[in-house]
Amino acid sequence: MAEIKNNSQKNTPVGMIVEQLYLFFDNKVPRYLVMSAMTAFLIYLPLSSSRFTQEIMANLFFYVVVCLGLNIIVGFAGLLHLGYAAFFAVGAYTTGILSSVYGVNFWLTLPFSIIAAVIAGLAIGAPTLRLRGDYLAIVTLGFGEIIRLTVRNLEITGGAIGLIGIQRPVLFGVVLNQITHFYYLFFILAIIAIFVSYRLHDSRLGRAWEYIREDEDAASAMGINVVSTRLYAFIIGSAFGALAGSLYAAKMTAISPESFMFIHSVMILLAVVLGGMGKIPGVILGAVIVTLIPELSRDIGQFRLIIFAVLLLILMLYRPQGIWPERQGISTKL
Amino acid sequence: MTSWEIFLQQLFNGLLVGSFYGLVAIGYSMVYGIIKLLNFAHADIYMCGAFSGLIILGFLNPYVGNEWLGIIIALLLSMVLVGLLGVVIQRVAYRPMLKAPRLSILITALAVSMILYNTVLLMTQGQYKPFTTGLTHESFYIGALRMTETRMVLLLAALVLMFLLHMFITRTMYGKAMRAIALDRDTCQLMGVNVYMIIAITFFVGSALAAAAGIMAGVYYGTVHFFMGFLIGLKAFTAAVIGGIGIIPGAMLGGLLLGLLEAFGTQIPFIGSSWRDVFTFVFLILFLIFKPNGLLGRIESERM
Amino acid sequence: MFKLKSSWILMLVLVLFAFSLFGCGGDSAGPVDETPDGEAEGEFEGQVLFGIMVPVTGSEAADGIDMENAGLLAVEEINAAGGVLGYEIVTTTGDDECDPSKATAAASKLISEEVVAVIGGYCSGATLPTLALYGDAGIPFVIAAANATSLIDENPGWAFMINSTGDAQAAKAVEWFESLDVDTIALVDDGSAFSVDLKDQSKMQWEAAGHSVVAEDRVETGTQDFSAVVTNIMAANPDAVYWTAYQGLGALLIRQLRQDGYEGVIMVGDGSSAPELLDLAQAEGEGVYCTAPPVVDFLPAAQNFISGYNDSYPREPGAYAGLMYDATYLLVDAIERAGSFDGEAIKDALAATDGFEGITGPVGFTPQNTLNRSNFVILVGEDGRWALAE
Repeated sequence: MAEIKNNSQKNTPVGMIVEQLYLFFDNKVPRYLVMSAMTAFLIYLPLSSSRFTQEIMANLFFYVVVCLGLNIIVGFAGLLHLGYAAFFAVGAYTTGILSSVYGVNFWLTLPFSIIAAVIAGLAIGAPTLRLRGDYLAIVTLGFGEIIRLTVRNLEITGGAIGLIGIQRPVLFGVVLNQITHFYYLFFILAIIAIFVSYRLHDSRLGRAWEYIREDEDAASAMGINVVSTRLYAFIIGSAFGALAGSLYAAKMTAISPESFMFIHSVMILLAVVLGGMGKIPGVILGAVIVTLIPELSRDIGQFRLIIFAVLLLILMLYRPQGIWPERQGISTKL
Repeated sequence: MTSWEIFLQQLFNGLLVGSFYGLVAIGYSMVYGIIKLLNFAHADIYMCGAFSGLIILGFLNPYVGNEWLGIIIALLLSMVLVGLLGVVIQRVAYRPMLKAPRLSILITALAVSMILYNTVLLMTQGQYKPFTTGLTHESFYIGALRMTETRMVLLLAALVLMFLLHMFITRTMYGKAMRAIALDRDTCQLMGVNVYMIIAITFFVGSALAAAAGIMAGVYYGTVHFFMGFLIGLKAFTAAVIGGIGIIPGAMLGGLLLGLLEAFGTQIPFIGSSWRDVFTFVFLILFLIFKPNGLLGRIESERM
Repeated sequence: MFKLKSSWILMLVLVLFAFSLFGCGGDSAGPVDETPDGEAEGEFEGQVLFGIMVPVTGSEAADGIDMENAGLLAVEEINAAGGVLGYEIVTTTGDDECDPSKATAAASKLISEEVVAVIGGYCSGATLPTLALYGDAGIPFVIAAANATSLIDENPGWAFMINSTGDAQAAKAVEWFESLDVDTIALVDDGSAFSVDLKDQSKMQWEAAGHSVVAEDRVETGTQDFSAVVTNIMAANPDAVYWTAYQGLGALLIRQLRQDGYEGVIMVGDGSSAPELLDLAQAEGEGVYCTAPPVVDFLPAAQNFISGYNDSYPREPGAYAGLMYDATYLLVDAIERAGSFDGEAIKDALAATDGFEGITGPVGFTPQNTLNRSNFVILVGEDGRWALAE
């Protein structure tokens, strides 16, 4: 079934382009060539570009990390998550509170933000992952709103104003306070995220996820513990998000509940689905589309979101598996 | 106010708001029941209903005035118009996707929602618009309960609509077909049911009810704006889950219950109205954990 | 056949995607200082770039566009009168969308384009994280509207607030409540940084004046039903209710309070001072008070500005148009006093401002770079329009 779908896609231009990409990238030599050329270009970029470009690119790297995190949950494990911004907020606020209220060094806050995310992930995931897939969507959506409203109402999170004066991280004696610093920091982080994603994808756990996604009953019959395997995906993805949130807090030095609205969860999800769930280069492409289009088309103002939504709709209608999907095809089940 | 008066007032407030939730929740529940889709665009259909009511009322104003007669005509016209909008959305965005991966159809629903939302945002410049009616807000007392004519009529109208829907679902062939499709689409197709037509009718009815709720909210609150659907959409969804998603009487019950819960929940000390929505969602999560099939739902062995 | 059609549509989509990616990237190169080539007018020595940072899209776009208009109008007038130090002013707009993370991107855009100074700032929450960016880049920033007190602490010294801050507004509210013999009040906000700030300031000052706050409540943006809040207020039965957030929700609150039979004083903060509040509140808006920024309609010095604005734009100037107009003139005045476009010199000149006569009144700064007087006025809703209550 999946095979047939892929074949029919070969006849469309996108299908052909993607097919060429597959052929190209399946061969290791050009893949490494392209990748090292791109890396070299991205390392060189800040030396010759404006602050605005660097800001946009830093945001892009950051988005790549967040999207790869969500991809573990949505793409690898096939679970629909609608409140990813909440985990992002958990990380950002953990770092923010520890650093601005208790004066803890930024790097030391990272383990705490991961722990907080794991706890939140367990609390939400453990009961609901036993249920039908759709319920996870609703619970995560509700959780997203709970977190946003809670940080807005509590004293310690700075209420509606949020936290201000979060410390800048120090690395090798240098205070990271220039956009160029964050450009490189997020660039390195994105590379780590890509690497970790690939390792996870090819691991035993990654194969188990794929198995469950494609056929839950068969996977269960083969002795895979479906609930706990899914829970791993949920927790690892949440930790990714929290880590990204911590770095976001360090870059902005001020965080407020508005940065964690439902629409942000939606945009991250869009990037993952648009590019092709599960396929790492596809997700990166999705992140590029979602961050760059609205930024570069600022001049059309409010129209840009309508155009974006219409394009998204058309794309989904004619290429429901995303622009650059996994080859095996994604299960028709959640 | 004495606590008895507060109790009565909150009871009535809860029922009225709950009936709005219920009307919107029905749309979610019907669509979910029949094609297993979380229709994100439904909240925006509610909003579009309110705006179409406002526009139609503006046209009618010189001929029939903008009091109850005008409102009723505008309500019926908008229900038809927005119902058709729902059918068009279903035809364009959902029907080609019925066989696609489940996540993809959710994304198209999000895209439709973004299109509706941003179009209205653009047309209104993001401003709140007054929903002007000629109704007065003279109040009178029923016992200790303070009441206005508008509130009475709106609550009655909501209950009448729910009753009509119930009759439609239980007493007509179309209703029977809807329930059958919800159980097993493929078998229905084999039995000669025109599945696509029934799905279209489902969207029509769900959207029309959301539009009715939108106009009633416009009449009651006096302003409409592009953002009005978002929160009520989430709440209505919660209501649908509480009642048992896919079960239509469950959606009505869930709506009323949620309205009451919110009205009384905010009276508990330490849960002020700033915590109202947190309260609602925590309740939703607890409900899903302990009673995932909802109040009226049957236990399903199937896992999705 | 179908396949052919769908492939064409796909091509189209891809091309459109590519267009939106690359098509719009090039056009924001921005004007450069000296442009001797082509049609640069003979009378100017060159061009100088001002940044305007306001939300021109998003939920607060209406006020943001209004401010942008007022700034552009001032620039046009200044250029017609010979520019600043012989240079023609050109502007570039950074859209902060009233969102903190979008605001840092907008600020970076302005800094990249090497603006000499920035005017604008509407939403306090979005303005806050940009203060450090402008400070690091050495760019003076005249804040026309944003006025939460939290801005004061985060200001590295490069921002100047020409709208009175939240504490001045709270003081005005307290003064007016006292003149109405109010003793107990209820405070309602919408959870936004700006409204919570005003609520906290009002509570502090009201209690310091020996009165009591009997109810505090919050409504969420997007909510329509305030029955819980209204019931709480009715139960506490305060002499007055003070709404500290924006007009959309404010109108809903006023209507629901009045329809439920609340008969006390209702007052709203400057976020609700737009005329739309009264349109939305309809009959229930009669007699509502407002602590407002200096709205140009009631300022004798602003009549020229109003007619100029009406000639150029198809709308009435809103609540912050006058302040934005003043911000632009103040910046030009400071540059002329500094005698250069150097950031440090402009900053010092701004700080030394004394008795600059704007259409909204004289401007001078405290050591914290805030306006050294309270500019709030009290308005009252009469026949669907705001009128001066004092």
